[in-house]
Amino acid sequence: MKARILDRADVLKVADLLREQGYEVIAPFRGRGRDTFFETITEENRKRFDLHLPNPYYPPKRFVFPHMERLLTVQKKNGDLLIEPIYKETKRALFGVRSCDVAGIYHLDRFYLGRDFRDIYYEKRRRNLFIVNVVCTDPGEDINNECFCMCADTGPAARDHFDLQLMDLGDEIMAVAGTAAGEALFDHAMFKKGTHAHQEKRAAILNDVRRHFKTTTSWFSATVRYVSQGGVLEKTWEEIGNRCLECGGCTYVCPACTCFTVSDRQTGPDEIERVRIWDACALAGFTRMAGGHNPRRAVHDRRNRRFFRKLAHYFIQRELSMACVGCGRCAAVCHGDVGMPSVVEMVRRATTESDTHEAN
Amino acid sequence: MRQTENIYLPKTAILDRVTDEIAEVKTFYWHFEDEAAQKAFKKFRPGQFAQVSLFGVGEFPTSLPPSPTEDQTFFTVRSVGSCTSALHRLKPGDKFGVRGPYGNGFPMEAYEGKNLVFVAGGIGLIPLRSCIVYALNNRDKYGRIQIYCGSKTPSELMYVANLREWEQATGVECRLTVDRTCPTDVWTGNIGVVGSLFKQAGVQIPVDNTIAFVCGPPVMFRFVIKDLLDLGFEERAIVSTLERYMKCGVGKCGHCCIGVAYVCTDGPVFTYEQIKRLGEDI
Repeated sequence: MKARILDRADVLKVADLLREQGYEVIAPFRGRGRDTFFETITEENRKRFDLHLPNPYYPPKRFVFPHMERLLTVQKKNGDLLIEPIYKETKRALFGVRSCDVAGIYHLDRFYLGRDFRDIYYEKRRRNLFIVNVVCTDPGEDINNECFCMCADTGPAARDHFDLQLMDLGDEIMAVAGTAAGEALFDHAMFKKGTHAHQEKRAAILNDVRRHFKTTTSWFSATVRYVSQGGVLEKTWEEIGNRCLECGGCTYVCPACTCFTVSDRQTGPDEIERVRIWDACALAGFTRMAGGHNPRRAVHDRRNRRFFRKLAHYFIQRELSMACVGCGRCAAVCHGDVGMPSVVEMVRRATTESDTHEAN
Repeated sequence: MRQTENIYLPKTAILDRVTDEIAEVKTFYWHFEDEAAQKAFKKFRPGQFAQVSLFGVGEFPTSLPPSPTEDQTFFTVRSVGSCTSALHRLKPGDKFGVRGPYGNGFPMEAYEGKNLVFVAGGIGLIPLRSCIVYALNNRDKYGRIQIYCGSKTPSELMYVANLREWEQATGVECRLTVDRTCPTDVWTGNIGVVGSLFKQAGVQIPVDNTIAFVCGPPVMFRFVIKDLLDLGFEERAIVSTLERYMKCGVGKCGHCCIGVAYVCTDGPVFTYEQIKRLGEDI
């Protein structure tokens, strides 16, 4: 991959350059409190977006898979049905996406474009998306108490699946091109050739930042094995289920959750539209069939489901990517403390305890 | 770049006629408005399913009871939820949406040369009807064909005209049973659960080189599986189709997952051996 160096002050120029090329550029901003959020860069706010800030809870997933998306409209005219798909093809650049979220979008790519069927709605959004990844280098701002990209092997510096990567080296920024589209930006004069010292500095900073991750889920891979082989006791799932409040928050903030429901709504006297809306396997109605029969009744069945989907080797192999990217959002929003790191820990504890031998 | 097909886009279908089956269950004969769509759809395999759209209400998955060897396309649907009730309200000439066919279907080619035993309970005959008709229309390709069909009462037997026809036909052994009768019923046949047919005098179920198709309510399914295993059937020689709440039918919405399998794309046809290994109850 080609890398270039630019002045710290020129980061804004990169965003401007993308805007000049016709992209709607979306970047993270700070709210009035601790909150941060992704928003479109405008003339008015262009100087306020930040490279280092807590990763927004609401993931950038919605720019490729909106929480509500119109699929088609149907008009009834003289007894005929006019069925028309609704496509949105906005040229967008996501500026300042963390490595975990880059992996999240990659997982969605694998899921929506890589299986038996391709999803045309996702494809149209994704094809027009330019991803600018920012490496997490500021332990105070970028790393929170919950994230664990080290264990999910997605960060702190993404190795792939971005168009352009920016890494803060202090006074300067290192830019890495991940695609031809990213490399094309290097034609601009603000990108200068780097030296061996820049590379060394990058390595040193990454080495240091790796030491600042707080949540260790070093049992992640072992948990994948236990879950895949059915080694997790029913009792453990029940304990996890008992703590789930069934709010669906974990799936809502997850950058790699893919489930949706479909609903029709009346938009005129003879016109309806069909929309898809994010859905959550934590919710009781997720598997309820017409007539009321629900094969997955208990809350722990549904918790089991979510972690099975995320951790079972079968699914990792099927998508060739894992449905957990280590962003830690589920842990941050869960009132019952059964986000991914806690579940991994509970599975670890239960497995270790069941390992004790009786002397007689 | 290859043009991606929109997997969520239904095509307009026209309802031709409706016939009553049993209480709350009707058969809907339909065809696509577009001739090419009809032709493409007709390549479905027994055991596959389709997504039916009642615009403004929603979409539901339903099995395909016709055999691809038959001329007409139809669904047999029980009115249970909002979408199925909306379908029941349609009149001939009304338009609705259909997309599909989806799912793996029964590998009927792979079963050639084998005996086929069909065991159906109640409306479980709907998905099995397709393979039964297919097998009978390709009679020389299969060994013995047996049909064991049961329902709660005589008035709840599905596809009665077909059942009578199969009872009379040569080259197929068809036996019916009901759990109970009402005083008003005229029923001279067997009374008892489907499994009780297996023990009737004169019944000989081939086990070697045989595929057993089982479809019906969960309780019936459990008991029939046990009976078949006791008879000596291998787990992989027993096949069934599963049903789940579904939104997309193409492996994206996530609703129909059972353990490791998506019922829509990995199924709905599974062998009992696979069902046992899904990692979640069916």
